[in-house]
Amino acid sequence: MTSPKSDLPQGTLDLLILKVVTLGPIHGYAIAQRIQQISRDVLQVQQGSLYPALHRLENRGLLAAEWKDTETGREAKFYRLTAKGQTELKSETESWKQLAKAVRLILESSEANG
Amino acid sequence: MNWWRRFVQRGKMERHLDAELRFHFDGLVADNLRAGMSEPEARRSARLEFGGLEQVKEECRDARGTRWVEDLWLDLRFALRMLRKTPGFAIAVIGTLALGIGMNTAIFSVVNTVLLKPVRAPDPDRMVEFMNTNRGGSGPIASEIEFNLWREQTNVFQEMSGYRLSSLSSTGVDQPQFVEAISVTKDYFRLFGLRITQGREFTEEEERPLGTQLFEKGHVVVLSDAFWRRVFGGDPQIVGKVILLSGDPYQVIGITAAGAQTETPKAPDVWLPFLISPNSDKQVHYFQAVGRLKPGVTVDMANAQLQVMTEEFRRKFPNTISAARGDAYSVQRLRDVLVRDVRLSLLILASAVGVVLLIACANVANLLLVKAAGRSREIAMRIALGAPRGRIIRQLLTEGVLLSIVGAALGFGLGALGIHALLAVNPVNLPRIGVNASNLTMDWRVFAFTMLAGLTTGLLFGLIPALQASRTDLNSNLKEGGGREGTGFRQNRIRSLLVISEISLALVLLMGAALLIRTLIALRSVNPGFDPHNVVTTQTALDPRLVKAAGVNPLVQNALGRLARLPGVESAALTGLLPLDLSVSNLPIIVIGRPLNGPSHGTSFYGQVSAGFFNTLKIPLLRGRDFTEADRLESPQVAIVNQAMARQFWPDGDPLNSQILIAKGLGPRLEEPVRQIVGIVGDVHDEALNRNTAPAVFVPAAQKPDIRSEGNVVAWVIRVRAESPSLNSAIQNELRQATGLPVPPPRSMDEIVAKSTSRQNLNMLLMNIFGGSALLLAGIGIYGLMAYSVQQQTQEIGIRMALGAQPGALRNMVLRQGMRLALIGVAIGIGAALGLTRLLASLLFGVQPRDPLVFVAVPIILTAVALLACYLPACRTTRINPMEALRWE
Repeated sequence: MTSPKSDLPQGTLDLLILKVVTLGPIHGYAIAQRIQQISRDVLQVQQGSLYPALHRLENRGLLAAEWKDTETGREAKFYRLTAKGQTELKSETESWKQLAKAVRLILESSEANG
Repeated sequence: MNWWRRFVQRGKMERHLDAELRFHFDGLVADNLRAGMSEPEARRSARLEFGGLEQVKEECRDARGTRWVEDLWLDLRFALRMLRKTPGFAIAVIGTLALGIGMNTAIFSVVNTVLLKPVRAPDPDRMVEFMNTNRGGSGPIASEIEFNLWREQTNVFQEMSGYRLSSLSSTGVDQPQFVEAISVTKDYFRLFGLRITQGREFTEEEERPLGTQLFEKGHVVVLSDAFWRRVFGGDPQIVGKVILLSGDPYQVIGITAAGAQTETPKAPDVWLPFLISPNSDKQVHYFQAVGRLKPGVTVDMANAQLQVMTEEFRRKFPNTISAARGDAYSVQRLRDVLVRDVRLSLLILASAVGVVLLIACANVANLLLVKAAGRSREIAMRIALGAPRGRIIRQLLTEGVLLSIVGAALGFGLGALGIHALLAVNPVNLPRIGVNASNLTMDWRVFAFTMLAGLTTGLLFGLIPALQASRTDLNSNLKEGGGREGTGFRQNRIRSLLVISEISLALVLLMGAALLIRTLIALRSVNPGFDPHNVVTTQTALDPRLVKAAGVNPLVQNALGRLARLPGVESAALTGLLPLDLSVSNLPIIVIGRPLNGPSHGTSFYGQVSAGFFNTLKIPLLRGRDFTEADRLESPQVAIVNQAMARQFWPDGDPLNSQILIAKGLGPRLEEPVRQIVGIVGDVHDEALNRNTAPAVFVPAAQKPDIRSEGNVVAWVIRVRAESPSLNSAIQNELRQATGLPVPPPRSMDEIVAKSTSRQNLNMLLMNIFGGSALLLAGIGIYGLMAYSVQQQTQEIGIRMALGAQPGALRNMVLRQGMRLALIGVAIGIGAALGLTRLLASLLFGVQPRDPLVFVAVPIILTAVALLACYLPACRTTRINPMEALRWE
């Protein structure tokens, strides 16, 4: 397990979690796995930040949690997106896109100059 | 889920957190196994990747947002543990606080009932009382002519009612008894939101006077629910029946709802219509008027309107109100009028008791400082282990607030007990507290106040030690052997400041207490103008019907004769004006042959007295002659005036050569024939010992066709050889048989004089309780500080002794340290008192706010107490064994 550890900007992890959870009820371990897979192993989420983030989102009412059996028959805590989480995700995604666009603009312009 | 449920279910949440993380860990292990690791390797790798489990949990708990509750819970349990370990300390602190808060609760419950509770009426803030102002002051009093004019100001007043209390007797039932009556104009019921459960209210026709008599009572009546049940057994057919009150027939037209009460001192038994003609030209002030402002109209707006009206009134009736005398009309909030005599003294008492609590706080803060000093090692250790300073402060504050909340809970109970004990010892005539203080209840306001006081005190005395402790110097505290800290300069300085403030606050309170003691002594030494000793008195409402049947004078003569024949009775008399107890309203006086510009030459108290009244009360006859048996209905009409009347009405002339006309224009019931003044008697304090005597005129009761006074009530005064309960009941019995009227048990005149100063007595008593508590607390404070400081200096003292210091010198050193603080406190206290005692001025009598005796004696007393408090610990120095002291650690 020596994949590069990425430093996610503040708040980004929350956004990623919300996005991953849109695909359906999912437990914490699977969220970590899913983020790693989708990012092609670039992003690896430490449980040290994953679980506090999950609990924070649950607290803010963006996620709802429920204990259910997994396919292996073991009980796990499944998270799903609430309506409030949905709106939050939409607006956060929007602002992230804008930010990314702005950053890219700046980076590309400096490349052209350099 | 809200924070509270998350907190309550924190055990379940912990288990879930555990399970969730365990699931994740197992997931990692399973993946590792799938990747081909051996089981131990898979576990080790997973554990490495997982990192610090506890840290993750801690962060998850933070994310839960219930951290503060959990901390509070921990702090509380820790505080409870600490207190259980030092029960003596806990008891001392809680006891001090419970007393301080209890006293505050008791006083606040009175302030709440008297000053804060809204008046019993709908829209209480818009209820106003009409005031008549002149040079002599202002009072809630009205005349018919004024009332009719006020009633026209409908643009500012929504409704208005005149009312007057009187006392009747119920006759025609088995047991004759007094009946509290209130005469009201018809809007009164609506004004105070009184409900009629059976029958109806008064109509406008029932409010119209039948003759020209002043204060007629009509012939319909509304009964109170309690009176209806008590006297008529709840007779369901009562409405429509005719009942007898003071011998006159009244038809019952309604019954009020149970508990219907306004702001009158006693709940009325019956409501009668107040008869007033819309065209009345009567100018005598004899009733009161209340009203409700229209919505949106302020008191100021109403007063502006009344000022305009005053001008108009002055043009119409130039003789009635004069600009020169400063006559004017105004309104004041009803509640302010009800409490205007006591507001200041209650506020002063409330501040005084607040100061006692402050002193108690300072003492407790001192105790906590000592305790925190003993704990500084523990605290330093916790800081070294990573506890944030804020957390330490919070911990210590929690302890303080816990102590004070427990103290407040006890204080609430103590306050409730205390106030009732006090009122039982000292029945005081405070307005609005009801008969036997029945209105004085511990409501939510009192409870909120107590809890707020508890919280504030907890924060106040908890904060100083908390800040102090959190500033702990880690290094020195951990290195130094525990137990000797707290002698550091800074800490002693804070504690010294606390003791100095305690002493100065206590001094101010004691000064106030001393001034009130002197006031009471001065009041007690006022010569009332008569000799109350060995005089008993009782009152009856002379029933016109009964009196008519037997004739007034035969009845009175018969009763007085029977009383005088009782063994042990020296003399007996009858009066309509009893000093400090029974008074009538002022009546206008005209001096015959003197030019008149106005309705009269002034007003005067008026009393019908039997021959022998002045003798019985030992009121000195200064000039002329006393009334005798020869002053009869058909003999020349005579009067006696008091000195104040002689001085005011005849500044240069001689009253003995004058004739006067009393109550001109007040209708046949009150109007008098011309009377010759035949004597002048000494002044008597009719109203209060601290009020100057007002003019008074006396006429022979035998020269009146029937006895009349305020509500027909007359007082019998009996001088006895020695007061005794058996003689009192003999007197009561004799009067009952002679008059056939209800006769309350006789009271001693000494008691009536004493009761007239009951308010001052209460002020004095409370202020002395507060001053005494302050003195005690300040003494304990300085004792505690000095005892602690001697204990802390044991080693130093031991060294000094070993080096040859005399025990006496060491004792004096400690004494000097303590007395320096005490004297600084006294000096500051004197300065503060010089400024503050002025606030007491209106409560004082016969003593100046800066009375030199008080300003010398009180500091001496306080200094003596401080000296004693320092002397005890100072003496302990002489008992220190140098060898032990040097080893003491």
